[in-house]
Amino acid sequence: MEKKAPDSRRNILRANLTAYGFLAPAGILVIIFFLIPVLLIIYLSMTNLATTNFTTNVSQMEFVGLENYAILLRDQFAGKIFFNTVFYVLVTLAIFNVSLALIVSLLTMHIPRRAGFAFRAIWILPRITTATVYIMLWRRLAVEAPYGIINQFNTLLNQPTYNYLDARPWEFVIMANGFIGVSFGMIIFTSAIESIPKDLMNASLVDGSTIMQRIRFIIMPLLRWPLLFVVTYQTLSLLTSFEQILLLTNGGPGLYDTEVWSLTAYHRALSNYFGNAQWGYGSAFAVVLVIIGVVLAVIYMRVFRFNELVAEPKIEVL
Amino acid sequence: MNKRLFSVLLVLMMAVIGVFGSQAQETVDITIRCKANVQGGEGWRCDNFSEIESQVEEELGIDLNLTLIQDDIGWEDYKTEFLLSTEAGDAPDIILSGHEDIGSWAPAGYIIPLDDKLGDYPEFDDVVSTLWESQKWDGQIWGVPQDAEARPIFYSKLLLSDLGWSDEEIESLPDRVASGDFTFDDMVATAQQAIEEGIIEEGFGYWHRGSNGFDWLMPYYAMGGEILGEDGKLVWDSEALLRVYEAVASWVETGITRSDMLGLSSSEVVYPAVSSAEEVLFFQGGSWNWANMAKNYVADRGGNDYLLENIGLILYPAMSAGTPVTVTHPLSYMISSDSENPDVAMALIAAVTTPEANNRHAIDSFHLGILNSQVESEAYQNDPVLSSAHYMLDYTRVAPNHPDWSAWTNAYWLGIQAAETGASTPQEALDQATAQLQNEVGDNITYK
Repeated sequence: MEKKAPDSRRNILRANLTAYGFLAPAGILVIIFFLIPVLLIIYLSMTNLATTNFTTNVSQMEFVGLENYAILLRDQFAGKIFFNTVFYVLVTLAIFNVSLALIVSLLTMHIPRRAGFAFRAIWILPRITTATVYIMLWRRLAVEAPYGIINQFNTLLNQPTYNYLDARPWEFVIMANGFIGVSFGMIIFTSAIESIPKDLMNASLVDGSTIMQRIRFIIMPLLRWPLLFVVTYQTLSLLTSFEQILLLTNGGPGLYDTEVWSLTAYHRALSNYFGNAQWGYGSAFAVVLVIIGVVLAVIYMRVFRFNELVAEPKIEVL
Repeated sequence: MNKRLFSVLLVLMMAVIGVFGSQAQETVDITIRCKANVQGGEGWRCDNFSEIESQVEEELGIDLNLTLIQDDIGWEDYKTEFLLSTEAGDAPDIILSGHEDIGSWAPAGYIIPLDDKLGDYPEFDDVVSTLWESQKWDGQIWGVPQDAEARPIFYSKLLLSDLGWSDEEIESLPDRVASGDFTFDDMVATAQQAIEEGIIEEGFGYWHRGSNGFDWLMPYYAMGGEILGEDGKLVWDSEALLRVYEAVASWVETGITRSDMLGLSSSEVVYPAVSSAEEVLFFQGGSWNWANMAKNYVADRGGNDYLLENIGLILYPAMSAGTPVTVTHPLSYMISSDSENPDVAMALIAAVTTPEANNRHAIDSFHLGILNSQVESEAYQNDPVLSSAHYMLDYTRVAPNHPDWSAWTNAYWLGIQAAETGASTPQEALDQATAQLQNEVGDNITYK
């Protein structure tokens, strides 16, 4: 027994090393592309780096502590931009990225296979279209008469015309982003539904279940893991995406009406018409976004009981 | 070796050295970066360097390898690109940008002062002297003006005629504005009258720039505001600002300006509507808009001739300060501190600072001339638009080159957005803008 102990420890060590070895590639990627950038951004947010004192030499940057965060807290529009972000993420996520994605995947799973494939391919188009071209199409739809496509129909039908990007900015921002987001959830949900064992479906059919009953009692419970993944991933994706809003409304019209947090970080750090970009202050906005993202990810994991989802099966699977 | 053979060999050696020596002439790589709307006639900003390349090669006895990079990306991206390329040690030798960037780039060390080099080239003596003011920071000159412009108000002769104005009244409007007889209030009243009489739709009386920019300095100056104090600090003049915010709010309230004017797409809505001269009575634009409209919006109606017949240009009429104004925003050639050949870069800039080269740009893009001899040249004088608008330089003001200018103008623009969209009252807009500026730059600004 005494002789076996070192062997056992060695085996455990070897097993652990093997596990870490397999984890290493992903771990290195996370360190390089997430951890180090986050640490850099946190440091940048504590400097006053701007166009007038710009340098890539970290040691030459002027450390100002939490001054940028103090300025951010005193910013009279930070609250409005924060709630804009919450509204934009929640509505886009709820209506498009989850609900519509689920509806599209369910519908296309219940029609002939080829037709379903064709429809899903069409829904993927917004995602694979270049952002600039995609937004140009939306602008062309929304712009006022006689140039806008919607307004051309309004004119034909003797209805009043509008500058939709001014009159309905949020609707267009959410739709433009939502239609891109649908495809992601649709693919995940479709593959998850496909992988549900046929036995379960057949058994429910034998029991005389309706489509709605199958969705409610078989499909939905088995989609918890993909739902967690889609909700988490898409929340973080929406929190950090701004390019469509930048191209569509640039945060307007009016006073920060569709400005979201990540767009403000971009406006402050990278884009300034008069050429004085505030890298340090913009980084403070970005750090707040990282914190919100991490907190939300933890909350989602609790709500969806992540630990149970990844727990080892209680019976041995051969 | 006899003397004759020695002489022959010597001559041969010298010939060989001469031939190969000249072939081994130094090659100098110069990269030039320009922002230009080529379709709008601005391509000469970079293309002029191709025209004078061989001339400079001959003068300096070098081979030039010019790389000209020219496109019309947004100013934000353009400036960020220069910033990052400078940090990477790969900045272009010559960068064309707004003179206000001197206020940020000079203290950061991205560009070099040019005072020592200017004296070597008589071409620079010809530059309109007032334009040099816009090239200064900290007592030194950091750029060479490339162009100048006015930001006039375009008025529709067609619509004024419909309103019952006589030809004489229409044609004399620029003079009446310049003399202060026709004020901004008169312009607003005219626009209101045109709406009341059904000549134009509500909201089409006065259009202005829909985004932040130098144009907005005009109402501030016209209301008596000053920007640069004697102590070198920027000035935030609350009284002038409040008047501006009251004015922009009233434009929408009285119905002469559209409520969605801010953010309205220029290319999709503004230029087509203004260039037809049939929809918008007054439009505050930039002189270069004229060339763009002639080439790209009314080309099928006769282009420049159509515009000349149906649209006129006036200064920004007098507001409470009592005098009309306009603003010019000279673009400048600057030399990067990364450049290994700043003297060659300077020679190139001098070679394009001539009446011939600059007229190509001025006439094609309707930018005002920057050289005294250019303004007097036959080509410039024969251009009906340039020659009729050049007087506006006498009324022009410029923005300061100052590190805090960006924060100042962003706060000012915040107030304009707040007041014009009705999100805030003019007084609230002023309070919000002031709070924004104080939060970001504190006491670096003089608050009046």
